[in-house]
Amino acid sequence: MMPGEHRNLIKGLVFISPWIVGFLAFNLYPLIASIWFSLCDYSVLSQPVFLGVQNYVDLWHDPVFWKALRNTVVFALVAIPLSSFLSIGLAVLLNQPIAGQGIYRTIFFLPSLVPAISLAILWQWMLNGPMGLVNNLVRPFLNIINAVCGSHLQAPDWLNDPNFALGGLILTGLWGTGQAVVIYLAGLQEIPLELYEAAELDGTSAWQRFLHVTLPMLSPVIFFNVLMSIIGALQTFAVPYILTGGGDGPGRSLLFLATYIYQNAFDYWNMGYASALALCLFVLIIALSLVSVRYGEKKVHYSGR
Amino acid sequence: MAKVLIENLYKIYPAEKGRPEKVAVDNANVEIQDREFMVLVGPSGCGKTTTLRMVAGLEEISRGAIYIDGKKINEIPPKDRDIAMVFQNYALYPHMSVYRNMAFGLELRGVPKDEIRRRVDSAARTLGLLEPDNLLERKPKALSGGQRQRVALGRAIVRNPKAFLFDEPLSNLDAKMRVETRTEISRLHRHLDSTMIYVTHDQTEAMTMADRIVVMRHGKIQQIAAPLDLYHQPANLFVAGFIGSPPMNFFNGTLTASRQGTLEFVEKVPAGQTPFRCPLSAETSRRLSSRQDREVILGLRPEHLHPNSLTSGSTLEASVEVVEPMGAETFVYLKTGGHTCICRTTQVEFMDLEGKKLNLGPDLSRAVFFDPQTEAAIPA
Amino acid sequence: MKPTRSSVPWFTRVALILLGVLFLLPFFWMVSTSLKPLNETMKLPPQWLPSSPQWNNYPDAMRAMGPFWLYARNSLLLAFLNVIGTVFSSALVAYGFSRLDWRGRDACFFVLLATMMIPFPVVMVPIYGLFKAVGWIGTFQPLWVPAFLAGAFNVFLLRQFFLSIPRDLSEAARIDGCSEFRIFWQIILPLAKPALLTVALFQFMATWNDFLGPLIFLARENQYTLALGLQALQGTISGTPWHHLMAASTLVLLPVLVLFFLTQRTFIRGIATTGLK
Repeated sequence: MMPGEHRNLIKGLVFISPWIVGFLAFNLYPLIASIWFSLCDYSVLSQPVFLGVQNYVDLWHDPVFWKALRNTVVFALVAIPLSSFLSIGLAVLLNQPIAGQGIYRTIFFLPSLVPAISLAILWQWMLNGPMGLVNNLVRPFLNIINAVCGSHLQAPDWLNDPNFALGGLILTGLWGTGQAVVIYLAGLQEIPLELYEAAELDGTSAWQRFLHVTLPMLSPVIFFNVLMSIIGALQTFAVPYILTGGGDGPGRSLLFLATYIYQNAFDYWNMGYASALALCLFVLIIALSLVSVRYGEKKVHYSGR
Repeated sequence: MAKVLIENLYKIYPAEKGRPEKVAVDNANVEIQDREFMVLVGPSGCGKTTTLRMVAGLEEISRGAIYIDGKKINEIPPKDRDIAMVFQNYALYPHMSVYRNMAFGLELRGVPKDEIRRRVDSAARTLGLLEPDNLLERKPKALSGGQRQRVALGRAIVRNPKAFLFDEPLSNLDAKMRVETRTEISRLHRHLDSTMIYVTHDQTEAMTMADRIVVMRHGKIQQIAAPLDLYHQPANLFVAGFIGSPPMNFFNGTLTASRQGTLEFVEKVPAGQTPFRCPLSAETSRRLSSRQDREVILGLRPEHLHPNSLTSGSTLEASVEVVEPMGAETFVYLKTGGHTCICRTTQVEFMDLEGKKLNLGPDLSRAVFFDPQTEAAIPA
Repeated sequence: MKPTRSSVPWFTRVALILLGVLFLLPFFWMVSTSLKPLNETMKLPPQWLPSSPQWNNYPDAMRAMGPFWLYARNSLLLAFLNVIGTVFSSALVAYGFSRLDWRGRDACFFVLLATMMIPFPVVMVPIYGLFKAVGWIGTFQPLWVPAFLAGAFNVFLLRQFFLSIPRDLSEAARIDGCSEFRIFWQIILPLAKPALLTVALFQFMATWNDFLGPLIFLARENQYTLALGLQALQGTISGTPWHHLMAASTLVLLPVLVLFFLTQRTFIRGIATTGLK
């Protein structure tokens, strides 16, 4: 290395030093420590005692863990596609030359600003059994269906019914999807108008233009958003925790991996077991991200690259 | 006011994955005299900007040395080299007023406030930044391209540095502004009487402004000379072709002995065509005697091909392809047996000659001969 | 689907209006409930508007939460410290990743991007242990000190912005006599104001909205943030006084909304750029 290069290296390291400290203390150390703790009996108050793979064996035989894993994965697999469709749809609608575009954009964006605590309490109220606003909006439709089909559909008691609690949470999430709408709208506005004009001259229908122009051009943005949503969905904690008043829902229907980590760590002070769970969550995130990156590489169209 | 010495200068970018080692500047040696206006010129990627940036201290020196007033500056940071630089994109600080842009460097050096005010005002007056409009409190965004350029000049002037460095300062201006600013800079040079190093890819800029010119290509210095020396005595084919517009005409051929005992240039043409032959003067023949029966390249400036010439010796018959009237002079693009060539004349009666034949008389006393192998000029 | 004709089908307009109403409805319901007397919140079918707005619900809800203003002060203090810390440290780090050339820079940056895939729940146990070891559990430090160590996402955002500032400016400043830190402080930071404002806003929101952090690191009630105070209100009172909960939720949301409407342009632009590279 030449002296100048050496100087540059030192200068660079000085500037990024805050991150290096943060990385060591809050990323690298915790990951390594998690591996160690997960092999120990550890309660924070006492020194960790080495157990070997006992925590993982327990985990394998723990039905609650499987429940949390299932809930987490199902939530991600249902909520992410739904919110993607909704936000892309809203963005496409908004990307029309309509009066008040900015106002609509603000309206769709606002819910994503609501703090988790307010959001959860509000939706607890919205989904509050027969009194909740959601059911009062749903009921007339159910009445019509019941009258026509002779069925006996009832509006669900969302948060108190193990079959519907997850649905309630997904509904809550859909309301807060506005950030993605703003990003997709910006992505749509980047697509050159000439592409649409060329496609229109080629005699394509609006739907074909959406499929063959909009979607491919938007695919990098979609990919980015989906990746971020996966990471976000897998660490879901605050909203379900508050929705259930600090619990995990009827029949643990709103128990997620993050919730279970929290319970083990701070309710039962079983840090070793919590660490094993945390590592499972980490592996799950890496795995799902890798899958989507693999899939994305094939499908995503990067223009000009 | 300083002498700048560039000695065995190299810039080597080490090999990186997928990219071999690159020698951007290859053993450059230049001695820039005190108060000299030195222009570095060459096509893009020739190493001229890299050389300038090494003088400025913005680029690490791989090997060799640079001295300012006899002091080696390789390891001295830019701010302590006592140089000022004018950038291609002006590099004005967008968030500072014109005044602060010019004052910033002085503030950092701890120059007293009233002294700063005095120097900025003086520079601003010289550059026309005070009148007709006082631009000092404006932000760069509110200025035209030419005004920004002058602020950039002002920022350099107020520092009163040992040497001014210019990195293609005119390339972002439109053609008219460019000519105006060119003379402006020349005037400044005379006024400030200081050393200036100026990088450009435009040979016209180089010719019009320089005391001396350094021509570079592929990292190597091709020739260092005063503009007219460069024009009339190019060191090699590259310099001959790069300097001058329209470019020099080249004819491949051989030197053979004529009946008079002198040498004769015989053009190399495809079989079946008559070559253009022309005798050399006795003196030139003597000079080139060692080249007898060998291939040479004859270089002739467009103004040294005289149309309809009555000069003695043989003429070159050519057909006119395109005529470009420039007003004061006319460029005539011609095709001869083996070559295309350009002739430049102040006569105006060629307007309707397109497609017709024309006799050209080469003025061989102004010709330059090159060795086809080495591409170097055969020394006079 | 950008139509080249100016006509927009009627069903698009209708769909937008319906969806817009649907998205606004929860807000409306929140405010409407917060102004009702308790008995009107329980009516079936629901009553859209309170018969007479009960403005008293707001001070009542604040009183029910306990030391509301103390919680608000705690939230504000934390948000303030986090904003200062993250803006300064992330800008410094982003500068190192964008305006300086040094060996190994890109590899380090890749590691930084990769850390965005580590969510807090994965690492919270050892981090808790770490803070426990230095005696910070039950203090504010765990909730603001890390902000001074740069956030990966903010570094990424600022780096993108810094890269768009011409290199010439730094070089001119270097020749003018700036040290590297002065270039950062006097040239780059003033030029990056919009990006810094974006980061500051995002961080304010993130801290204000944070729930899990205060939940595990704070111990005493007088340290609670508004989020924790509100959760405590939800948990302690039997019979769920929805009008109070809605009033308190509105109060927690209000500063965020005000901030958003004050800075809407920067905000929306900031969000939009996060998704596009």
